[in-house]
Amino acid sequence: MAFGYHGRYLRVDVSSGEAGPVPLRDDLLRQYIGGSGLGTRLLMDEGGAAAHPLSAEAPIVFAFSPLVGTPLTTSAKFAVVCRSPLTERINDALAGSGFAIAAKSCGCDAIVIVGCAPQLSVLVIDDGAVRLEPAEDLHGDACSLVEAKLRAKLGTQYRIAAIGPAGERCVRYATISHDSRHAGRGGTGAVLGSKNIKAVAVRGTRQCEWADARELTQLSRDLSARSFGPATAKYRELGTATNLLTLNRFGALPTRNFQRGTFERAASFAPAELSARYPRVRASCVACTIGCQHVYELDHAAVRVEYESLFALGSLCGVADPAAVLRASSLCDELGIDTISTGGTIAFAMECVERGLLDQRWLTFGSGDAVLKAIDLIGRREGLGDLLADGSRRAAMAIGQGSMAFAPQVKGLEIPGYDPRALQTMALGFAVGARGADHNRSGAYEVDFSDKVDRRHATLDSVRHAIETEDRAALMDSLILCKFLRGVFTDFYDESAAMLRAVTGWDVTAGELRDTARRIIAAKRDFNIRAGWTPQEDILPERFLDTPLPGDPAAVLTADALQELVTEYHRQRGWAAGE
Amino acid sequence: MHVEFLGIPRERAGVSEVELDAATLGDVLAVLPARFPGLRELMPAGALHSSVAASLNGDLFVSDPGTPLAPADRLILLSADAGG
Repeated sequence: MAFGYHGRYLRVDVSSGEAGPVPLRDDLLRQYIGGSGLGTRLLMDEGGAAAHPLSAEAPIVFAFSPLVGTPLTTSAKFAVVCRSPLTERINDALAGSGFAIAAKSCGCDAIVIVGCAPQLSVLVIDDGAVRLEPAEDLHGDACSLVEAKLRAKLGTQYRIAAIGPAGERCVRYATISHDSRHAGRGGTGAVLGSKNIKAVAVRGTRQCEWADARELTQLSRDLSARSFGPATAKYRELGTATNLLTLNRFGALPTRNFQRGTFERAASFAPAELSARYPRVRASCVACTIGCQHVYELDHAAVRVEYESLFALGSLCGVADPAAVLRASSLCDELGIDTISTGGTIAFAMECVERGLLDQRWLTFGSGDAVLKAIDLIGRREGLGDLLADGSRRAAMAIGQGSMAFAPQVKGLEIPGYDPRALQTMALGFAVGARGADHNRSGAYEVDFSDKVDRRHATLDSVRHAIETEDRAALMDSLILCKFLRGVFTDFYDESAAMLRAVTGWDVTAGELRDTARRIIAAKRDFNIRAGWTPQEDILPERFLDTPLPGDPAAVLTADALQELVTEYHRQRGWAAGE
Repeated sequence: MHVEFLGIPRERAGVSEVELDAATLGDVLAVLPARFPGLRELMPAGALHSSVAASLNGDLFVSDPGTPLAPADRLILLSADAGG
């Protein structure tokens, strides 16, 4: 068995309470590494593509990696992989911090959960010993409260991944939360909730050995030193929230459900204004030297602020009141719902109201109170909230009247904070993304903000750049390393190979890791094909095609041009159309 | 010509924009660190650090120090990794 691994995963059937280790072959680990890659492969092997995402048969995988538990900065991360109840396609969501280390210390490289517990329960894994505990006393509790209660009850050595009330009610974009971070996209929390599992609590003592501890220590020191430099300064000093004014300046800030690319009041909830109004502290995940989390104090509560939350609950809904945006973000965190899908679905409903397609006159662009009310209804699945809890695509199917044209989603996953007409390499990344419109699995916006392309006029040359960012993301999500490190590498593949050699003892090379990244992308596509994917899904909503972004006549993406890009993408991937 | 700062370049410069006499991108990258010492780390040896991007008038991005600039141009300096 390779160093850095336990060589097995823990399979738990929460219907019966039965659990046991399942061996993992060395060659499979080398082919898929860990995190998203290993999780995708295990999900496929467990029959995840055929099972309804919210059925008892559906597996959900918590996958770790050989780097988890090493001194490499940002390596304390885990991937949650399942078939998404929002998209019904592959879904891999990552989160950071101590849960990854504690769970791997239980003596496994992944945890696969199937079945459905007879009552709301906590899955407790104590150094590999598995038990289910009743959790009725946690019913309806917010994510952070669940963590606090369970650590008080079980012991402070435990690390907890929990769902909020929204996960219990199977809101299709519910999250799994740990240490204020979320495995956020695609509804992982709904899948866990459908199994009657309120939380997974882990602690362990089993450490993996490393092939060359001395070399690993040196590599870790070097990487940490570089992580303090200018390549990560944005995250450390300003946080992702600083993107707000940048995207606005370039006319790419989604506003009022993507009806515009600029928001006239963006500065009112940008970081400078937030810092002037509210006390701010920085925080970081376990084993991270970047410290990207910028946490503001509002109403005696700590509110973590990220760009995606600001755009989705702010400009996308036309809301400029900073207190309302922060409260909305905080409410999403406590309910355990993805802020991007929440904001996207509410903004879509606001436009439906504006067009007279939905009789909910209180739900208007610009109203912070309306956003807060809508979030509360979604979390409780009450009234309009029951419709919105299923996401914008299903809401558009129910509302009809042509509303699908402006439902802000791809494959059912709401679009992140980058207008695809103004950032057209990103448009391709969104269209072909295996889990839907996604800025974490495709970093193509980076290409648009470079001299490699004309951001408002994608060409076939844009395709290879989009593929390159997608490949890199697949590898980072499988190693696992935080993407905020990406700028510090001189040669990412070469340096990643050195890290893996030191941990595992494999004679792995940069070239092999490039092949590995492509294999993982192909595995996700294979999963999707088995789950019913068709080529027609690799498309953007009508709103984004053939008409310019209002206010920017140069930002127009034709349907034909996008189709050419998608076809070329498939060709360069080596995939025949429809295959 | 005008230079706008966003993200870390704005933090380091301490201002949101400045007016300069510059005929090329290289001229800008030579002048700015002298006027705003906080920018030195972001513009080593007269070039852009990989963490910084430069856009001409919000349209094309540029990095060649020889890129000509006109008096009416607006150069936007921003953190390169605009996502996250």
